[in-house]
Amino acid sequence: MDIAEKRKLTASSQKKSGKLRGIARKDLFWGYLMIAPLMLGLLIFYIWPVFQTFYFSFTSWGPFGNYQWTGLVNYQHLLSDPTLGQALRNTFIFTVLSVAGSMVVSLFVATLLNRKIRGLVVYRTIYFLPTVTMPAAIAIVWQWLYNGDYGLINYFLSLFSLHGPRWLTDPNIALYSITLIAIWGSIGNNMILFLAGLQSIPSVYYEAASLDGAGPAHKFFRVTLPLLSPTIFFVTVTSLISAFQVFDLIYLLFGTSDVVINSTQTVVYLFYKSAFVDNDKGYAAGIAMFLFVIILIVTIIQLQLQKRWVHYA
Amino acid sequence: MPKSLEITVQATRRSKLLGSVLTHAILIIGGIVFIVPFMWMILTSFKSLSESMLVPPVIFPAILHWSNYASALTTLPFVQFYENTVLMTIGRTVGQLVFCSLAAYAFARIEFPGRNLLFLLTLSVLMIPSYVFLLPQYMIMKNLGWLNSVQALIVPGLFSSFGTFLLRQYFMSLPLELDEAAKIDGANHLQIYWHVILPLVKPALIALAIFTILWSWNDLMWPLVVNSSSDKMTLSVGLATLQGEYFTNFPVLMAGAVLATWPMLLMFICLQRYFVEGIALTGSKG
Amino acid sequence: MKKLLFLCSFIVLLPLALSACGADASSSQNQPITLRYAIWNQLQVPAMKQMAAAFEKTHPNITINVELTPFAQYFTKLQTAATGGSAPDVFWMNGPNFVTYASNGILMPFDDQITSKNVNLSDYPSSLVSLYTYNGKHYALPKDFDTIGLWYNKALFDAAGVKYPDATWDWNTLTQTAKKLTNPAKGVWGIAAPMVDQEGFYNTIPQNGGYVLSPDKKASGFADPASVEGLQFWTNLIQDKSSPTLAQMTDTPALSLFESGKVAMMYGGSWDALEFQQNDYTKNKVDVAVMPKGKTRATVIHGQGIAVYANTKYPTQAMEFADYLGSQAAADILGQTGTVIPAYNGTQTAWIKAYPQFHLQYFLDELAYAVPYPTSKNTPAWQDVQNKVLTQVWQGQLTPAAGGKEIATQMNQILSKEQ
Repeated sequence: MDIAEKRKLTASSQKKSGKLRGIARKDLFWGYLMIAPLMLGLLIFYIWPVFQTFYFSFTSWGPFGNYQWTGLVNYQHLLSDPTLGQALRNTFIFTVLSVAGSMVVSLFVATLLNRKIRGLVVYRTIYFLPTVTMPAAIAIVWQWLYNGDYGLINYFLSLFSLHGPRWLTDPNIALYSITLIAIWGSIGNNMILFLAGLQSIPSVYYEAASLDGAGPAHKFFRVTLPLLSPTIFFVTVTSLISAFQVFDLIYLLFGTSDVVINSTQTVVYLFYKSAFVDNDKGYAAGIAMFLFVIILIVTIIQLQLQKRWVHYA
Repeated sequence: MPKSLEITVQATRRSKLLGSVLTHAILIIGGIVFIVPFMWMILTSFKSLSESMLVPPVIFPAILHWSNYASALTTLPFVQFYENTVLMTIGRTVGQLVFCSLAAYAFARIEFPGRNLLFLLTLSVLMIPSYVFLLPQYMIMKNLGWLNSVQALIVPGLFSSFGTFLLRQYFMSLPLELDEAAKIDGANHLQIYWHVILPLVKPALIALAIFTILWSWNDLMWPLVVNSSSDKMTLSVGLATLQGEYFTNFPVLMAGAVLATWPMLLMFICLQRYFVEGIALTGSKG
Repeated sequence: MKKLLFLCSFIVLLPLALSACGADASSSQNQPITLRYAIWNQLQVPAMKQMAAAFEKTHPNITINVELTPFAQYFTKLQTAATGGSAPDVFWMNGPNFVTYASNGILMPFDDQITSKNVNLSDYPSSLVSLYTYNGKHYALPKDFDTIGLWYNKALFDAAGVKYPDATWDWNTLTQTAKKLTNPAKGVWGIAAPMVDQEGFYNTIPQNGGYVLSPDKKASGFADPASVEGLQFWTNLIQDKSSPTLAQMTDTPALSLFESGKVAMMYGGSWDALEFQQNDYTKNKVDVAVMPKGKTRATVIHGQGIAVYANTKYPTQAMEFADYLGSQAAADILGQTGTVIPAYNGTQTAWIKAYPQFHLQYFLDELAYAVPYPTSKNTPAWQDVQNKVLTQVWQGQLTPAAGGKEIATQMNQILSKEQ
């Protein structure tokens, strides 16, 4: 037997004997050493505050501190709060639609922009523009595009004798209007991630497929998608996590009026309102924990499912 | 050449041309949707105040009001803002590239006890709204005496769950044989990380760099809360001060936004060339 | 003998002790210190820096750092800093947040300054003084104020051949004129009737003899029939079709409509003078009049205050600076900028002169019947209820009476929790 097989045998026998020796101990050392700087920083600045938030969700706060333990009061309030139920529904609809839409469009665009075509830099930059445009500018432009009376979209529709709806002030439509803005705004980011992923697929595989007589569609579904799956997994997980937490878009477009707020407010919007407007930081912590559990469950489900469809090399 | 081959070649060329035309058509139509808001931002930066408030909206300004740019530059100490923002951005980006890649390598390619739990813990940070971290991080800065400083802008941003997760995924897409080969040659993990793996994940590192640069450049809440004096302010905070309680001069605000945005565009144009097709992976030795 | 000895030593030592105390006080007076002064209005930065420079001249050991925060995030930041124990030494305060800060001990009272005559409350409009009074003590000095007026588009009035608004107008006149000026063919409405409190129903409610919040801050006035009529004033205008609908004004703010000549009148603040001056459409086309009379005249008054952090490291010096900021000298500097109306009595002419084409004197005339902006310990909580319910009222989903009752019920619950 060769060296590699010998090593594997020794390693497995060592594990069976319950002692960490040699390779395993070296792995332990290097493993912890290399994650140490990151984990230390995360622990101090991020993970500890998460535990603090968990603790604070059982307390009641004054506007400037002075908290006292109130047990499950916040959670009882959570479960009986109708606005939270609404916000959860809005958040779910927004998340599912915006992530699905964004994934499809970004993947499509990234595939198109992964080839040496003319004007590649120009195209990539244009699709990246929403990501660098100032949020205030984005809000102003889309408010103009969506304006019920003077907006460009309704003007365009009127050319075809169609009466456009009130995109941002009709409670039945407003959520879908901003879902569109969210998809539009995320293409740039996801395009970068998919481009990076497409780059790491060795051209060897494509060449082999060509030799077998495969067409572009075949190549896409049999070569690209499986080898891109770690990236797709990453984009799906992070897009879902961040879509569940959508806030800025809602705040910018609907923060000043209550006309459609019931059908557009999201869980993090309620969190912000609770923490900084109502000065109820204990309840806000409860909302944060509630959302955290939901996202955690969704993510764990995805982590389990990844064994079925994600191909790691 | 034989007739049948000629026909095949011509057919292939035609379908390639069709494919190319179709591609460009789709990209251009889509591109219009993507460029409109950005163009709007630029056009508004040249409008007069009244033009920017009119309904139905005015698309093109009657004349180019360069005074908006002069206003933006003189109202705010832009140079100072650029400086602070650049320092903060470089600090955070370099830090994340180093710390996140080290950790991502370990999470992806080293089997050590507690790995999955620690990784889940890392991921869990992403599932909390960022406002939660505002007050605790503020208190840490206060206790360190770092309020209103440049290091306060940089330090919490050196550590990222997102960056670690991103790089881990890319690290996991590389075949393990590479590590094995290096190990047989007697390399330890740090050397494998540095000499073997890192050069192969350039696209991922560039992607992370772009994200971190963008996020730092546009970060509003943290610099706003932790720093107070104008010589420690960043661009995004400076721009936000142009939005008044009752009155916002939109053309000047847009001019400020354009001034703040062009470095990001430049950055992207320069970095995206690393996303070049076809990395020949000479991984598996036989 | 022992007693004599004790007495002698006491007499000898006492002056020593006193002089030591005196030495400490005077030496700490002269140590170089920096005071942080937080503001949110970028337009006033030059004026604030001028005031700081003037103060630094007379107090060479003190340096003032003017810190500008955008308004939208100002109170989030201030709250975070105060919670962390490091709020600025002197900072701006406004009505909606005042009681929260005062009742939680974040602000230092000015009452010693009043007794020692460094500050004289009769120098400011009484309605502003009461805005910044909590539990009988004064926690902020009025810096500036704003009142509400009826802005109108002269060109649209001329085109319809209608006389400009004047002091004879009452609610009826306004309603009739708004109808006359509405021209659906041209897409023009007589007036904008948005769902806003400060520029809207906080004025019409007292104009009709109603009230928003009882003086003891324990009861809501929204269910009172007089208040309900104050709300109805606006919904009637929408029903008459003299005003765009709420949905239309949410898509396009009343201000944009007014600045595009789409509405002939709008209730607006004295702060609008700045914008209308800089906008070349409105610069010479608009003017302002006093608000029409209801059963009586009323305007809501609001203004920023100067507050001192209760836990500042330099209470004496911070108070001195705050006193200066509330003084006539500072008010004069503020008036020169034309950005706001200074609160100090008699310093307002500079502001009026900054916009000669508008009849800004009317804003000052309204001081005579000014009602302070309503605030309590948890203003945002009941204002949120107010806004949610009134949105439905404005859209015709609730009658003003039903809406008022709903607001009052919830508001009273919130107010009782504050006690």
